[in-house]
Amino acid sequence: MRRGLDRVFVFLAGACAAAVCALLLGIAGAIVWRGLAVLDWRFVTRLAAGSGGSGGVFYEILGTLILVAAALLVSAPLATGVALTEAVYLDSRPRAGRWLLSALYAANSIPSVLLGIAGLIVFSRWLGWGKSWLAGGILLGLMILPTVSVALIERLRSLPRKYVEAATGLGLSRSQVVRSVLLRQSLSGLVSGLLLGLARAAGETAPILFAAAVFSGAGLPAGIRDSPVVALPYHIFVLAQDSLDPAVQDHLWGAAAVLLGLVFALSLLALPVRLRIHEEAKHA
Amino acid sequence: MLDALSTEALAPEPAEPILETRGLTVAAGRRTLLRSIGLRIEPGRVLGILGASGVGKTTLLRCLNRLTDLTPQLAVSGEVLLHGRPIHGRDVDADALRARIGMLFQQPVVFPGSIADNVMFGVRHTGRLPRRAWPERIERALREAALWEEVRHRLREPAASLSAGQQQRLCLARTLAGEPEVLLLDEPTSALDAGSTAAIEELILRLRERHAIVLVTHGLRQARRVADSLVYLAPRDGAGEVVESGPCQDLFTRPRSPELARYLSREPA
Amino acid sequence: MRVGGRPLELTRIVSLGFTALAAAAFLGMLALFAAGSAPLWRQPGAAGFFGIRWFFRVHQFGFLPMIYGTLAVSAVALAVAAPLGIGTAFFTAEVLPRRARLAVKAGVELLAGIPSVVYGLLGVLLLRDFVVRLIARWEPLSGDTLLTGGLLLAVMILPTVMTLADDALSGVPAGQRLAARALGLTRAETALRVATRQAFPGLVSAVLLGLGRALGETIAVFLVIGRQDNQWPQRLLAFEPLTTAGQTLTTKLGGSETFISYGDPVHWGALMGLALVLFAVVAAVSLAGARLTTWRGRRA
Repeated sequence: MRRGLDRVFVFLAGACAAAVCALLLGIAGAIVWRGLAVLDWRFVTRLAAGSGGSGGVFYEILGTLILVAAALLVSAPLATGVALTEAVYLDSRPRAGRWLLSALYAANSIPSVLLGIAGLIVFSRWLGWGKSWLAGGILLGLMILPTVSVALIERLRSLPRKYVEAATGLGLSRSQVVRSVLLRQSLSGLVSGLLLGLARAAGETAPILFAAAVFSGAGLPAGIRDSPVVALPYHIFVLAQDSLDPAVQDHLWGAAAVLLGLVFALSLLALPVRLRIHEEAKHA
Repeated sequence: MLDALSTEALAPEPAEPILETRGLTVAAGRRTLLRSIGLRIEPGRVLGILGASGVGKTTLLRCLNRLTDLTPQLAVSGEVLLHGRPIHGRDVDADALRARIGMLFQQPVVFPGSIADNVMFGVRHTGRLPRRAWPERIERALREAALWEEVRHRLREPAASLSAGQQQRLCLARTLAGEPEVLLLDEPTSALDAGSTAAIEELILRLRERHAIVLVTHGLRQARRVADSLVYLAPRDGAGEVVESGPCQDLFTRPRSPELARYLSREPA
Repeated sequence: MRVGGRPLELTRIVSLGFTALAAAAFLGMLALFAAGSAPLWRQPGAAGFFGIRWFFRVHQFGFLPMIYGTLAVSAVALAVAAPLGIGTAFFTAEVLPRRARLAVKAGVELLAGIPSVVYGLLGVLLLRDFVVRLIARWEPLSGDTLLTGGLLLAVMILPTVMTLADDALSGVPAGQRLAARALGLTRAETALRVATRQAFPGLVSAVLLGLGRALGETIAVFLVIGRQDNQWPQRLLAFEPLTTAGQTLTTKLGGSETFISYGDPVHWGALMGLALVLFAVVAAVSLAGARLTTWRGRRA
């Protein structure tokens, strides 16, 4: 009887795992199979044509890269500041430090559509930017701020004390210790956090929906006001709403494959960094 | 007094062993950990397993109740016989086997819950004891583990509130509640202070009457005090082997192998 | 990291300043929504908050159909993803050997990285037809239903639930498992009595955090839910309403009304009210989930 229960347990759990694996393979397979059929060098380098449902996705890729770069420039310094605050400057006030971490956690769970709406209010209307790539970059940078901050905080906290002690013993001021020792040694944490966050930012639609992206008519932005971009996620989003034409469907699979490629490339870049951090932690 | 007990004259013929191994070999991938181990565990006796750290004593012990099954990399070959019947084999219920063979670990492992919960933890799942018989079984097990007087008024309190020595005796009670025939003890006192160690060693001598006991120890003093016969493991060609075995007194006074002689000279007697 | 220093150094000021800036940004968002929704509360028809009709041209703003939509879609998602995710976690944490477990976790992490718009695309091109066939008995008008949204969400939150549940189960000390097995408990008994008991808060947290994600998801649900206003079910806890199109808090906010309503304070106020409700619900669920587990960001 107990043997029977044991077998049932393993069977049920295994069935769940099998279902999940099948799902994973099915999704991956569908995208790879349908997407790669469309994907070639021309797809990536040509401009969108027709009413956007055919041709290539050149400017869309460019637009996504611009947004990602802007998000990088926004979130890197802010996250560094937040991480240093938590790990160093609030070290003597553990309660405040915990508040900060809770706040980071809460900020991370904010639905991205709310960020997009806030961007509409502040950038589009108040500042009068209309649709702007910079607004998109700032919003995306804010969205990934918690992810990057926490990655850096964990790295900072895991650094061996001996480096700080040695530097202080040599007479370095705290500012110098932070810059020369802490930041330099935790750079890998910042890099991996950024890569993971940017992978997420590259694929997000809701933050750029109102204040940054258009479907067509934009190439390289010139200036800040009224300088939207076309981006892969928004492109897919709009096209998917009217997708009865099979040719458009092919185009969509291709665009999705490109977007996934971009996202996974960023995530995979983080892998060697994360492995190295893991190795260092083992030998510390 | 303890010395006198352990140097009792042995019966003229060896008793029928409860547990026996023949040619037991354990490998992990291409590395052999234990080679051709032969043991005889007899009722009413304490068999001590001696050897330097890392030679494979714990692994050997875990072969005896098939706990090695939980580590898929370990390949166990050879025979382990319980009452003359092999314990490996497709039709053998490993879980039922483990309920008949009790094990004590180096670190006391106490489950969250009350003292009474812990004592019955094994039996409630594996035994068919009706609930009303539980209080009696709990008292018997705790008495056998010499813990009853200390906790009889606190049975509902969390087990985690006990001291380390008491927790280890609680683990013993938990094992005894299942009325096992054999007890496997893996360095049960290495995490305890001298007082608790002495208490457990006394317990072992008493338990010997009704259970066969295998005790892994790397303290010569403990072996001398508690074991009837000994098995000494040492590495040969990279794998642990039984280098010497026999009555405790013989091994200490007339070691035949160079490894054992060296081991004896290094450890404090 | 104890590093002694003076209060007035540049790096410290800059860091604290950046932190204040980030905090201001997020708190400012909240303030924006609160302030923006003020016209709605001042309006006598604000009683329409709990109404079930949304006709913005006549300033009728009933929130309930969207709240229902959000809850229905999330309930479906949880009903599918929680058992599946926890069951899988049992398999990876209790049955699989170490290497296989890490491989499965890596695969699941890949799933988690897929952008929501791609999930939406999969929903549009693949899931809709499947759902139409599935619920043919109820004669659906199309594949754009609340059920479709729920199923799509289930797939999206599955990695979250599974990874967190697996972490919770694996966190149980190995010594306890070993001791239980040594007493003769079967694998199932050890998993259910020993591991689950200790990992229970972590399992609940996994489900809550999955729920938080489901509540806040916009884009994927937007594409498959039909976005039909005024779908208030006759019977709340029935299956039938799920087979029709609907609207959730997020799909309304992500739609065109947000653009066009900016000039009309009351209309805008209503949308801001929706935003506040969404914010509050997600925050409550996520904080509850966070309390049950130690804070773990995406591991660097």
